[in-house]
Amino acid sequence: MGEPAQLLPGTLDLLILKAVSLGPLHGYGVLLRIEQISRGALSIEQGALYPALFRLVRQGFLKASWGTSANNRRAKFYELTAAGRKRLRAETDGWKRLVEAIASVLGAETEEA
Amino acid sequence: MRLVSALRAVLTGLFGRARVEWEMDDEIRAHIRERAEDLRHAGVAGEEAERQARIEFGGVEKCKEECREALVVSWLDHLWRDLRFGLRMSIKSPAFTAAAVLALALGIGADTAMYSIVNGALTWDLGLDNRDRIVIVRSTNKRHDQDWTVSYPDFRDFRRQVKSLAGLAAYRFVPANLSDQSALPERYYCVEMSANGFSVVQHKPLFGRDFIAADEQPGAAPVVMLGYHVWRNRYAEDPGIVGKTLRLDEVPRVVIGVMPPGRRFPEETDLWVPLVPDAASEKRDNRELMLFGRLGDGVKLAKAQSEVEGLAARLAAQYPDTNRDVTANVRPIEEITGVYFMKPLFLALFVAVGFVLLIACADVANMLLGRAAERAREISIRVAIGAGKVAILRQVLLESVVLSVAGGFLGLLVAIGGLRWFDRAMGTQVKPIWLHLTLDRNALFYLGAISIGTGLLFGLAPALRLLKTDVSGALKDGGSGVTGSKFGLRAARALVGFQMALCVVLLAGAGLMIRSAVRLYGTPIGVNTTNVLTMRVNLPEAKYNSPESWLAFHENLGKRFEGLPGVEMAGAASQLPLGNWIPFAVEFEGKNNDAAQRPEVGGLVVSNNYFDLMQVEARQGRLFLAADGQAGPPVAVVNETLREKFWPGEPALGKRLRLVEANALPGPWLLVVGVVPDILQNFREHLKHDPLVYLPFAEEPERQMFLLARTAVPPATLTDAFRREVQRMDANLAVYDVRTLEDRLAESRLTVSLFGTMCTVFACVATVLAAIGLYAVILQAVSQRTQEIGLRIALGATRGDIVRLVFWQGIRPLAPGLAIGLLLALGATRVLRSLLTGVSPSDPVVFVGTVVVLLIAVAIGCAVPTRRAMRVDPLVALRYE
Repeated sequence: MGEPAQLLPGTLDLLILKAVSLGPLHGYGVLLRIEQISRGALSIEQGALYPALFRLVRQGFLKASWGTSANNRRAKFYELTAAGRKRLRAETDGWKRLVEAIASVLGAETEEA
Repeated sequence: MRLVSALRAVLTGLFGRARVEWEMDDEIRAHIRERAEDLRHAGVAGEEAERQARIEFGGVEKCKEECREALVVSWLDHLWRDLRFGLRMSIKSPAFTAAAVLALALGIGADTAMYSIVNGALTWDLGLDNRDRIVIVRSTNKRHDQDWTVSYPDFRDFRRQVKSLAGLAAYRFVPANLSDQSALPERYYCVEMSANGFSVVQHKPLFGRDFIAADEQPGAAPVVMLGYHVWRNRYAEDPGIVGKTLRLDEVPRVVIGVMPPGRRFPEETDLWVPLVPDAASEKRDNRELMLFGRLGDGVKLAKAQSEVEGLAARLAAQYPDTNRDVTANVRPIEEITGVYFMKPLFLALFVAVGFVLLIACADVANMLLGRAAERAREISIRVAIGAGKVAILRQVLLESVVLSVAGGFLGLLVAIGGLRWFDRAMGTQVKPIWLHLTLDRNALFYLGAISIGTGLLFGLAPALRLLKTDVSGALKDGGSGVTGSKFGLRAARALVGFQMALCVVLLAGAGLMIRSAVRLYGTPIGVNTTNVLTMRVNLPEAKYNSPESWLAFHENLGKRFEGLPGVEMAGAASQLPLGNWIPFAVEFEGKNNDAAQRPEVGGLVVSNNYFDLMQVEARQGRLFLAADGQAGPPVAVVNETLREKFWPGEPALGKRLRLVEANALPGPWLLVVGVVPDILQNFREHLKHDPLVYLPFAEEPERQMFLLARTAVPPATLTDAFRREVQRMDANLAVYDVRTLEDRLAESRLTVSLFGTMCTVFACVATVLAAIGLYAVILQAVSQRTQEIGLRIALGATRGDIVRLVFWQGIRPLAPGLAIGLLLALGATRVLRSLLTGVSPSDPVVFVGTVVVLLIAVAIGCAVPTRRAMRVDPLVALRYE
């Protein structure tokens, strides 16, 4: 699969929002889901996860509540709020546009074919 | 909604701290546990899985710190956290906190009190909008070199003729009893003012009408203008007040209007009535009025001054009997109060108290530096786990501000107490009515500002030190917290040197004031000042138009006074001790008298029993007899200084001299019949001995005299009796300025004693604080070097060597501080020149004394730590790790 790609700064929030949009998760669950979906291509620095989660909660994009996890343990679950859903959409669009722009720059061929 | 969640975050931040921490902890632990389980499922052994999971996670503390950061909504939350931490730290070391807060309270409180005083004294609110256009006009008696008030006829002439002033008005104070139906009779400050008074300062009544010219005509219906606060407090803002009648000192008056709030010119006036001239005030030499005017547009003060001088000269020519020696001058309105001239002194005191505050700050900074050394490890750990340096800095500064604000609260009490003391020390006689010594809003703002400011200032010291802490060095074992200590020690020494410099200046100032006061109070005036009552009467011209009438009046009055029970002797004098004299030029019989270069002496006219009353004995010859001045040749009594100056080594008795007044023919030859010891008369330089000639009253009668009486009982009890006797002789005579001689003299020395006391208090507090600072620094140095000292002792150093090591180490930073301080002091003490009598601002005795006092303080400060160093047990010290 190759080396896990380094995360560009600022994209962690986007990934977390996406991961949570697929269903409420606790911290470890978010980590697993991202790794799962990216098939190991993305590695998240574990220490950076929780600050990001807390920040998103503070900004109102995530909602946290205590519940029980899969193995019957008490855990804090995060889910998207309406604002979070809007934010995810906006960020995703922005990301897509960015990727297209960079791709077209990188894909430009030299004059001599 | 974002706002709601933000709000919730704030509230959680403020109140749910503990729970948040616990939850965070729980969450992270759960995460690691789950990871470990997954690893175990993947085949890793139990404990190894835990370990790996933990390592994978990374720094837990760092993560938590960042989470906390992420939760914080604003810097407010940071502040709150640091505040709580700071408070916890302060409570943990109560002795330290108490000492710091106390030192700061003293400094901040004293500074605020002084600010109030300076503010009150120098920037009193006249309620004037056009302050720089308003001037006061005074008469000056050229002969007596004293400022006088102005008479009504003179005022009328000035007002009519002056062109450079847009208006000239007159007033005098008449504290009056106000009585009417609305409340009990009250005493108010009432001002009799000419009708144009308000228009000169351009104040209009709030409602009602202003005074008009008709109001100040004799026989006009009596009216009164109320001050706003009187209307509000006594009449409850009665809208129908205009037209009501009230009684002022038994005279019914109609209220014509109310002035707007804040308009109380001149000088905190409560009520205004028109100045109506009566028979007494029509006397040109009855001078009781103060004048103020407004400069015309574009007119400079100097122009007004020369015009008014010219007008006064014209009056002097027109009315030589009353105005011969009278000139006038125009001064800016600020000089209406004598305090204005003391501005540099007040500012000097303000700077002095600022020094005290700085010294206190330096002390606290040093204390914090010492504590910072102990906390180096703790701080380093915090830095290591991710706390930014900025966060540390912020927290340290906040701790300092917490200390200084606590000091500020306590300082409030100090300030109140200080103001109260000053108020009482000024006494009711000297204190001007407008001087309010209270902590007003400005002062409270000032207190708040310097509370926070000083905290930030001295917080810099430990903050800088912590910034320089080498993190890894501090964390190494054996960390005695020495890292950053080089800066710390150097900083501490610099601070102590700084403190010493400031101390020197304060001590020098205080020393000069003390020496001056000792001289002043220690030098006898030359008379027995106890139980002597003094007062003044003005004999109006019309009734007393000949020297004989004056003579008769004073003789009769003297007899009446002496007839009163409790009175031993009564007399009169043209001036009292420390009250100056009448300047004369003098010619001596038998000497070469050059008319162009006659020497000057002072002349005083006294009743024949003056010297007996003052209990002064003749050194040579005799004192005045009853017959002197009325029969026999004209005589005079001279004082020792005159005799020394003009007849050194010769007997003075039998010699003759004559006095020459300016622009007049010489007087008759006077026979010297006695020589008396010096009585101090110089009111500018209280200790100066001047040559004086005393003349018997009958020989040279003066109309304005001071009356004196020596009493067997406390003089104040006889005041009313004296007034009544004067009234019995002449019902229209005003007796005024009744005071005991002691009070007069005390008042003339009041400034010196007041300022001197304050200077001394400041210097003492500063020296104690500086000594404490030095003590702390040396103590810290000793504890830091305990090992080294133990080693030295073990290697054979004697106690003496150790003492020298510690002591000199401590003294070294002081030398430059001392030197700088002395230089500063030499320059700074010049400001005190006007207060110092008989002492020069660079008096060597005082400066040497300052150095000595400082060295003693230093020695005391070093004593305990040095003893400690001597007692170090090398075995213990070397083992200590």
